[in-house]
Amino acid sequence: MSTRTLAERWYVPAEIGALRVWLPFATLVNLVIAGGELLRGEGGSPRIVLTGIVLLVLLRWCLPDGEGGRRRQFARPVGLAILLLGGYSLIHGQPTPFEIWASSWLIVPSALALYWLSTGLSGKWSVGNADNGVSELGLARNRLIAPRLEKFALHTFLIHTVGLIVVPVVWILDVAVSPGNILGGAIGDAFTLEHFRTVLGGENFWLWTRNSIVVAIGTTIVGLLLAIPAGYAFSRYNFSGRKGAMLVFMLIQMFPGIVILVPYFMVMKTLGLLNTSIGLIIAYSVTALPFCVWMLKGFFDAVPRALEEAALLDGCTQVEVFFRIVLPLSLPAVAITALFSFLTAWNEFLLALVFNTSNDAYTLPVGLSSMIPATGQQWGDFAAASLVVSIPVVVLFVLFQKALIQGLSAGSVKG
Amino acid sequence: MSEVEFIGATKRYDDGTLALDSLDLKVEEGEFLVLLGPSGCGKSTALRVLAGLEDITGGEVRIDGGKVNDLPPGARGIGMVFQSYALYPHMTVRENLAFGLRRARGRDKVGEAEISSRVDDATEMLDLRAVLGKKPRELSGGQRQRVAIGRALVRRPRVLLMDEPLSNLDAKLRNRMRYELRRLHELHGTTTLYVTHDQVEAMTLADRIAIIADGRLQQHAKPLEAYHRPANSFVASFLGTPAMNLIEGVAKDGVFSAGGLSFALPEHLSDWHGPGIYGVRPEDVGIGDGGDVRCIIGGVERLGSNAIYHLEAGGNRISAVQRRSGGADASNGRSENETLDVKLAVPMAVLFKE
Repeated sequence: MSTRTLAERWYVPAEIGALRVWLPFATLVNLVIAGGELLRGEGGSPRIVLTGIVLLVLLRWCLPDGEGGRRRQFARPVGLAILLLGGYSLIHGQPTPFEIWASSWLIVPSALALYWLSTGLSGKWSVGNADNGVSELGLARNRLIAPRLEKFALHTFLIHTVGLIVVPVVWILDVAVSPGNILGGAIGDAFTLEHFRTVLGGENFWLWTRNSIVVAIGTTIVGLLLAIPAGYAFSRYNFSGRKGAMLVFMLIQMFPGIVILVPYFMVMKTLGLLNTSIGLIIAYSVTALPFCVWMLKGFFDAVPRALEEAALLDGCTQVEVFFRIVLPLSLPAVAITALFSFLTAWNEFLLALVFNTSNDAYTLPVGLSSMIPATGQQWGDFAAASLVVSIPVVVLFVLFQKALIQGLSAGSVKG
Repeated sequence: MSEVEFIGATKRYDDGTLALDSLDLKVEEGEFLVLLGPSGCGKSTALRVLAGLEDITGGEVRIDGGKVNDLPPGARGIGMVFQSYALYPHMTVRENLAFGLRRARGRDKVGEAEISSRVDDATEMLDLRAVLGKKPRELSGGQRQRVAIGRALVRRPRVLLMDEPLSNLDAKLRNRMRYELRRLHELHGTTTLYVTHDQVEAMTLADRIAIIADGRLQQHAKPLEAYHRPANSFVASFLGTPAMNLIEGVAKDGVFSAGGLSFALPEHLSDWHGPGIYGVRPEDVGIGDGGDVRCIIGGVERLGSNAIYHLEAGGNRISAVQRRSGGADASNGRSENETLDVKLAVPMAVLFKE
């Protein structure tokens, strides 16, 4: 074998390379499918999928290595078997999107494997017929094909990831527009706005919304008023206990909410702040503070000291330096911090549930949960309300995204 | 135009570092003074103490005879050009230039008409018309530099401070800006303190140079005076490339000996007795005729216009420069390990007491 050229030794068709990676991935996906079907306990198809998994592993094992060994002779028959299996499951299963998708994870890999193992350069290579000329040609072709295969693989992966995230949203959307208060049913089989009408027409929803807005905006304002000066002080001044304080801030962040729940409750009860917005605002501001201070400190750190010195020489007072130079340059960080504070308050459930015993003081998350009582769930109303509640969050994210990207400080210092 | 005076100015940082050690220095009205020294020598600290960006821990800083130790930076009438330029990134060039003028209060308050006429003047002088509406990040390095100078000058400062202003520019632009800075100084005539570690900038820009090492003033003189009559061995070794040869030895009866090397002292140093450091610049070392010190050539750097010899004589390292005269090769074909006779006793030589 020492007479083989570099090209011959190096050449592995990109198609075979792709199969080597993607057959195990297909196996993994089929395992997930099998798991799902076992859990659902529908007879018949798990056996098909499990057979498919075994065959996929076998196919991966007998993929050719370019040496023309005995194993490669099994590759095509095994591939054909998987293809037939997939076809059978497609024909005999119900024509739901899920079943079609599941079968395609047997059909597509095996069809590609059969095609690539039988035709073209990869076919020649598979049966050990790749001389130097073929290998050089193949290497050149790999450069063309490999990026395309990679792109295809990447998109397959991304589509599955996005699907994982989108499916629950689609589901809740379907529940929200389906008549009756039931969970389940086929997607897109009926359409009604009755739930939205019920939710938006009810007094409770607007009451909770008002409470949530007051609490969220209050938290944002109080949080920023505390975090901005704190972040600046931590960034610029050296005082005793500075490092310790930063560390303690971090530690507080690490406690799970449930730990501080009881002490918080006692404090609020003593202060008479249960069932009030102010109580929640105080609690949330304190919870959000560590993150906000760290975030802002990091940003203030990045504002060059020379800028402040230049402003001092230009006749600014320390306060003017902060408001005219440092703060305008840190607006993106302030925006992120504001967003974080707002969302903390908007989404928080546990504290709001414990502090507020009266319907009049409920925030949206607590109000929503009250729509799922032990008897007679109102799933449709609940789904519709959930969608409405998430709208402000989505809108805020879209708005603040621009602030996040703004690299205001770029080019301020040095070339 | 103003004069600046450091009287025993001392700066000790909280961690105990002594950055300025009782500095006495007087800058005359309209003078361009360059503070020159290696990095960490305290030259930037001197500038920052004068600007009020660092508190002084001892001594006095005076501007026009008045003590400014306790004045806030903005009240000292100082314009400063930072090494990083420190232009306000969120403001346009025009806003950057006008920012300081708008901050002036009380008696110093500047009207809008005056502001725009001063900004126009600066724009004219520094050729910034085309970029007035742009933000700093859209400017080239040279333009940022000019905006920074403009921002310092529009306030008509008593003193202009520059902290290594050319160090962020590429070599070609640096040469042009150096010339530009000198031209500007002639134009506005503001008393200027300029910090650099680059001796070429110091030699070309300065009316006078203050060489600083370890927080102390080593020499305060005109550039050529410092070059030809260095006050001590530090100044001697710091100014000039390649650095001055410094040979530690003992002078006795008109003869200087160091290790295996000894030669007759030149006439102006012949009555020196005792230990000392003999200094002679590489370009003053006589090569060829009348050489009385035999050296071995350790290496030759051929630069075209001249050749630099690295020589060894009696355990001492000596470098010598030979200029090209006629032939294509300044070293006349001499190479490693050959011997070369040189003359160290030249009229430009100096002797330091340790």
